[in-house]
Amino acid sequence: MNEAEKLRPREQSRDGTPANLDAVLIAEDDPMFRRILTHWLEKWGYRVIAAEDGSSAWNILQSSDAPQIAILDWMMPGMDGIELCRRIRSEQGRYRYLLLLTAKDAKQDVVTGLDAGADDYLTKPFEVEELRARVRAGKRILELQEALLQARDALRFEAAHDPLTTLWNHGAILDFLRRELDRQQRTLQPLGVMMADLDYFKKINDTHGHLVGDTVLQQVARRFQGALRSYDFVGRYGGEEFLILVPGCGVADLIATAERLRCSIADHPIATSVGNVPVTVSMGLASTAEKGMESDWQQVLRAADAALYIAKAEGRNRVAILPTVVTAGRVGH
Amino acid sequence: MGDYVRACWDKAEALRRVAGDEELLQDLCHIFLEQSPALMERLRLAVAEGDPEAVMRAAHSLKGETSCLAAYASLLARQLEEMGRGRDLSQAVQMFELLDFEIADLRVALQIHNGADQ
Repeated sequence: MNEAEKLRPREQSRDGTPANLDAVLIAEDDPMFRRILTHWLEKWGYRVIAAEDGSSAWNILQSSDAPQIAILDWMMPGMDGIELCRRIRSEQGRYRYLLLLTAKDAKQDVVTGLDAGADDYLTKPFEVEELRARVRAGKRILELQEALLQARDALRFEAAHDPLTTLWNHGAILDFLRRELDRQQRTLQPLGVMMADLDYFKKINDTHGHLVGDTVLQQVARRFQGALRSYDFVGRYGGEEFLILVPGCGVADLIATAERLRCSIADHPIATSVGNVPVTVSMGLASTAEKGMESDWQQVLRAADAALYIAKAEGRNRVAILPTVVTAGRVGH
Repeated sequence: MGDYVRACWDKAEALRRVAGDEELLQDLCHIFLEQSPALMERLRLAVAEGDPEAVMRAAHSLKGETSCLAAYASLLARQLEEMGRGRDLSQAVQMFELLDFEIADLRVALQIHNGADQ
């Protein structure tokens, strides 16, 4: 998993499947106990997947939507419950709750079973209510785990994203800039960098209020994202400043892409609660394909900033790359 | 007949273990009636061949199933399982014969139970 994947919200990260807490895997070679377990678990609303030996249970557990709760009989032909516990514990990924079935009269079983990775055990023949309580306890622990994972993923997302636009935030987009520059050194693929700044944004805020200003920022973010590839990076660098990274893009493509972004803003006014608001953007570009731009992220940023300054000075709503303005449109203000 | 049946298994206890679910108990009896001949044959062979590991496994399965039904045969199956685990089969033939009688009686009792309830 790369850094970008790690930072995305959880439905896009990890293995992509929701936790399966309403299903139970049974590994039990004895048909009577299989029948008893299936009978009660289904009665309590669990979906039951039954395996007759350890290896079929192991195979079932390899699928991405396999149950998180498993009831494993200790003594089975082939791979027994203990071996199964050990194997499951050696896996990466979501925690599974393992309930081991043991015989009532074998005391040493319990310690060995727990040491092998079982969370709990149940002695045969068991009381129905005890089975119910132990499965419920397992489900509770897994639910708690899910809640913690979701909270962690949400925090991760918040830590790297701008809450208003959900773009990468200042820190995250700079991380990506540094990383992409490193990568570019290895792959020799050029990296295009754009610093985009909304023109006269303060005037929009002053005229229509900050809520309208927020809408404008959100819509600009959405248009930028819509006009870029999924592997480009868009970040909110500051108030009305956006930093955009386009990997594998030479100077000509970079200018064409920037021009597309500029037009995506300038060509259609932004619909807000006070009506359509015309917005334009100025963009300063830098490319590692240019001489002297090979690796230093600060230098790349300075070059994009300087180009942005030129785009502003030349009249705004235009794209500039040092040392000249390359494209321009009319300014509506 | 009633006394004879009680000598093989504690039906009330078996029913309590399935939380009073008569239908489930019927199913379990049915499964046992189907399964036990093959299990007993495995155990008989294991005893005859003097294979303690196989004795332990077959007796373990029988112990589990009979204890589910609160049948007294489970005590004998457990003895055989322990003999297998202890790798001492000197008493295994006699124990197997006792178990064989007990299982035969249990099968009759379970057939009566299932037939009477149907």
